[in-house]
Amino acid sequence: MRYSLPQPYEDLGHTADVGLRVRGATAEEALARLALALGGLLCGDAPAPVVTEARLSVAGGPGLAGTAVGLLRELLYRFATERLLPAEVEVHRAGEAGAEATVGFARYDPERHAEGTDVKAVTWHQARLEPEGEAWVGQVVLDI
Amino acid sequence: MQLRHVEGDLWEIPRQGRMRVPGRVYSVGPPAPDDQALQQVANVAHLPGILRFSLAMPDIHWGYGFPIGGVAAVDAEHGAISPGGVGYDINCGVRVITTALDEAVVRASLHAVTAQLYRDIPTGVGASRAIPKLSAPELDEVLSQGARWAVKRGFSAAADDAERCEEGGRLAGADPQAVSDRARQRGADQVGTLGSGNHFLEVDRIAEIYDPATAEAFGLLPGRVAIQVHSGSRGLGYQVCDEFLAELTPRLASFGPDYAQLPDRQLACAPVNSEVGRRYLGAMQAAANYAWANRQVMTGLTVRALRHALHLSERELGARLLYDVCHNVAKHEEHEVDGVQRRVLVHRKGATRAFGPGDPRLPAAYRETGQPVLIPGDMGRYSYVLAGTARAMRDTFGSSCHGAGRLMSRGEALRRGRGRSISRELAARGIEVISRGKKTLAEEMSEAYKDVAQVVAVMDRSGISRLVARLEPMGVIKG
Repeated sequence: MRYSLPQPYEDLGHTADVGLRVRGATAEEALARLALALGGLLCGDAPAPVVTEARLSVAGGPGLAGTAVGLLRELLYRFATERLLPAEVEVHRAGEAGAEATVGFARYDPERHAEGTDVKAVTWHQARLEPEGEAWVGQVVLDI
Repeated sequence: MQLRHVEGDLWEIPRQGRMRVPGRVYSVGPPAPDDQALQQVANVAHLPGILRFSLAMPDIHWGYGFPIGGVAAVDAEHGAISPGGVGYDINCGVRVITTALDEAVVRASLHAVTAQLYRDIPTGVGASRAIPKLSAPELDEVLSQGARWAVKRGFSAAADDAERCEEGGRLAGADPQAVSDRARQRGADQVGTLGSGNHFLEVDRIAEIYDPATAEAFGLLPGRVAIQVHSGSRGLGYQVCDEFLAELTPRLASFGPDYAQLPDRQLACAPVNSEVGRRYLGAMQAAANYAWANRQVMTGLTVRALRHALHLSERELGARLLYDVCHNVAKHEEHEVDGVQRRVLVHRKGATRAFGPGDPRLPAAYRETGQPVLIPGDMGRYSYVLAGTARAMRDTFGSSCHGAGRLMSRGEALRRGRGRSISRELAARGIEVISRGKKTLAEEMSEAYKDVAQVVAVMDRSGISRLVARLEPMGVIKG
């Protein structure tokens, strides 16, 4: 299933940086929502129409958390070098071996997205992609 | 966390379990035993080859693996090198440029000056193209030459700028070939850009002098204007750190039981003399050189902007680099350990080198005083210039604090800033701030930070660095 911005997230209240937590019915949904939370942060929750689409495949591990970090690292690299941010995400597969996703990218606009946050790295700190109760939790701390 | 009061503002985390050394924490008041940063100090004490203490400065806060404000020296041959002990923004650092301008001259044209700086120095998300995008060979030169690359191209306050940087603005062991294509791609168009977050460029007035003789040696005169630049290695440095963390995290156990048993996987590290350890060191040093080139280009752009806005000749402006210090770096240095002079690898993550008087590694101008230790505060209050001491050489591997340290999360700062205009509040206090977005101003407001005056007072009382002067902001640009 494809999910799109806006994507609310729980702020972990990290002192220096930003921690994101989202929930989904499956690992794939939680990861898609985590990727979108990154997109929302980058564009400051301003409108971000999709201009191009790509199918991404990333290596996983250690653990599912490592896979989540891997996908978000790839998305951040695209943002840093091509100014493309995730606005629609469908995760086809998320496992310890890796993840595959189709991502609709919006182009970063310095005027429209002036309140966006300059995320510089996706850290391994407190990273999670795991079941909690009947839902899945996705969580990362972003270095800004 | 068990803590023992050593003396004054210094506490010790006694060695226990597999800790190789005790932790030592300089603190504004007694440390809170449940502070998670203290656990990180104890975790760092497990690093293979760590010497004497896992140290924390009074601006300590929770980081990734290492605490921010942490210092760890390891054996240069048999110790571990840790990307987490350097941080993502490799050679994030600060420099101060003194000028011959009186405060009143700049105050009269403050908006023109601040606006010109904001126009000429790219800030904010993905800021780029301060200068034309570098070709691959040009980027190699930046990565190997550091500040000297920029000085040679005319980006300078004065001809001797590079000598007035820590390490002469260049780490000689840099290996540009160890920097990946992805890191190069992130860095090719960002030389001379400020970035965002806590990075800033400030027009400051020299508000108070505590040590007139040292201040004079540093070129700091009361009522004069100085410029402060805080930035680092931009996307290139982040990518270098990110890639090595990703490479090392799953491989820790392969380096032996000492590495497999580390208490936090974010202490990801490798033996200094392993293939990957040497490769990281070469890439990290190249990124450090990139950061020096970045701050040096911004220095040149700042000098041009000030001359343009105030219609001044080079001589009238009288710009001179006071010093440039690293906050995030690992470097080979000679230190006395248990009475023996040894070559060690010092990790400083959110800490400043603070070499004392008489050290031959300092520029001649500062050999009698000790090196300038530049400690930025927040955009609404003040920053400090201190001097390194012999005590720092003895107790902290020649290291001091690096800034105020955050008090509240960015989310909390945004909530407290709701309904307020931070720029208007600062303007009412005579501080002009220009930034890309309002959100950054709220996140970076003074209340979000500890009072840096308390932090530097600990360093002064402990004899780790001596107070020399206080700078107060007049104009600020932020991303």
